[in-house]
Amino acid sequence: MADALIRVEDASLGYPGRVVLRKVSLALRAPEFVAVLGANGSGKTTLLRSLLGFLPPLAGRVERAPQLRLGYVPQRETLDDLYPLTGRDVALMGTYGDVPFWGRVGKRERDRMRAALAACGATEFARRRYSELSGGQRQRVLISRALASDPQVLLLDEPTAGVDREAEQAILGVLARLRREHALAVWIVTHHAEAVRGAVDRVVHVDAGAVTEGGPA
Amino acid sequence: MMDFFSPDFLFRNAVTGGWIVCVMCALLGVYVALRRMVLLGVALPQAGAAGIALVFLLTHHGGDEETSAHALALGGSLVATFATLGVLVLGGRTGRRTPVEWRIGAVLAAASAATLFCVALNPTGDLEMTSLLRGELLAISNRDLLLLAIVAALVLALFAAFRRELLLVSFDAEFARTIGRNPARYDALLYLLLGVGISVGVMTAGPMVVFGFLVLPALAALRVTSHLGATFAVAAAIATLSSLGGFEIAYRADLPAGPVYVLLAAAIWLLVSLGALARRRLATAALVVLALVTLPSCGLLRTPDERAAEPAPAGSLPDLAGRAIAIQPFRNDTGQSLRLQSANPLDELGHALGRPADAPVTVLDVLQAHAARELARRGYHVAQGDSPPVNLLGTLSVFSRKADDPLHVRLELALVDAASGTVLWRGEARKPVPVPGALTLAEVAQDAAPAIFAEAFAAR
Repeated sequence: MADALIRVEDASLGYPGRVVLRKVSLALRAPEFVAVLGANGSGKTTLLRSLLGFLPPLAGRVERAPQLRLGYVPQRETLDDLYPLTGRDVALMGTYGDVPFWGRVGKRERDRMRAALAACGATEFARRRYSELSGGQRQRVLISRALASDPQVLLLDEPTAGVDREAEQAILGVLARLRREHALAVWIVTHHAEAVRGAVDRVVHVDAGAVTEGGPA
Repeated sequence: MMDFFSPDFLFRNAVTGGWIVCVMCALLGVYVALRRMVLLGVALPQAGAAGIALVFLLTHHGGDEETSAHALALGGSLVATFATLGVLVLGGRTGRRTPVEWRIGAVLAAASAATLFCVALNPTGDLEMTSLLRGELLAISNRDLLLLAIVAALVLALFAAFRRELLLVSFDAEFARTIGRNPARYDALLYLLLGVGISVGVMTAGPMVVFGFLVLPALAALRVTSHLGATFAVAAAIATLSSLGGFEIAYRADLPAGPVYVLLAAAIWLLVSLGALARRRLATAALVVLALVTLPSCGLLRTPDERAAEPAPAGSLPDLAGRAIAIQPFRNDTGQSLRLQSANPLDELGHALGRPADAPVTVLDVLQAHAARELARRGYHVAQGDSPPVNLLGTLSVFSRKADDPLHVRLELALVDAASGTVLWRGEARKPVPVPGALTLAEVAQDAAPAIFAEAFAAR
């Protein structure tokens, strides 16, 4: 593993009976800010789900550092607006992994949640209903939730999709700051190559079933 | 509701059991609504009812083995509910996927038809089963109520203990996985709680009440709340208001309780939804206004007891100059046992009549109780002792009803001076009595009794 938090070696990634990505080799290290670029349907999400451990490799190896803590930010459209939750309710979910079912969410967890909201510039959304927030505001709350889980790696699926240019830059600014201040490995999956240019340390291209590591963005 | 605290209130178990079912379903229903599983909430109670109907048919329920029949029926409800859950939930994970609505539609159609089919084939238990399907809540024995309370407490305790996990996997299953919570495990827990809750709920209140309260309180609560904790609290409050208020209305207006419960919950949902279109605060105010208006307005209606307590003319009955009347056990010359099968309220009636706990309650017991009440309305003192000066003797020679025909009855009554043996008065009831809506023998006896004694005492 050396200093890699996640190392993928010569892996075939995909679903049972269907290989999407072949001979994938890459490593996630901290701190760094990486963008996974590729067209729709190229296999970016498959790569992300494999890094998260949702999809076991069909061949090769995907190794994670012991006790690795992952912070995941899904596409916000996958979350249902029906739930009567405030921004702080959503952010607090990040701490649930450290609270047993018989325990209570205490001051330590609430402090972590507040710190995460503050780090993402989302404190003002804490008391507002999540479903009534704008796309960019929701994204900040979801990043806060991931950050509240005290991760070493932050994996984000299309965090800037469907938000305006200003919100996009604000989100990328938050992620760059988190990488710097919290020494995180931040990997975002996106198809907006232009948006991340200059914001990330390096890019990884996903295309035609192959993953290639690019240089600095 | 003040009658609830009266020691001889016959429907305490029904009120309590109905309230437990309604609140349990309302709390579980919040996740049924949030996870967009409302159709599942239709199919599962119907499947549970089908399981009960099948067990009633297979065990020829209606005979003397009520205890084992109830246990078997609960088993049937559980098996049918969980089998349906298996088809609907696990069926989508294997082989070629089909939309869950397809499977729910198929299950619902099959379960509805199977329920009616089993009821039609059952020669002994059809009345009780039909009563269950209509949402009658009258026959809840102490044992059934205790079982219901224990199961509901367990279901809600697990529901509360795993509230964070259930929220997490329902709102965002993939994020839950990344922080070490297995969504499949907690989905299974939620389905387990739903299955058990629905099974015992259907046993107690029938599929209509269970489905109604899985959906309506949660939908109303979700319109007016911004926090999940508040949603649960408001849903439970709506269920409490609907069930207790509904019982009050049903009791006073002599209506089937289940449909009234559900209609009241639907009225609250409608009010809240209309209010939410304008303002959330208005909806909350509407809830409060409804709570304040509903229960006192029930006072405009009279309870059966209140109606029965109103004075009535003496008719042909003689003036006994204040002498007490003792109701002697009526004679049964019909050639039938006329035994009533329902459980708890009738047990209490038997107890009130001084019968041993294991003695069957019959139509004659119901008529004797009504005779005492009707004599009291006419100003006579009904004695409890063994040797009062005047005895009321009765002979029932006809008591039969086919399908929806009126009840054919012949009851001869006589007041006899206990000391001399002199007959002081004779009366008879023999006119057919319409009893629309009465399903069970107990309901027939209860509904027909006022008309029988009105004729016998010649008050008309």
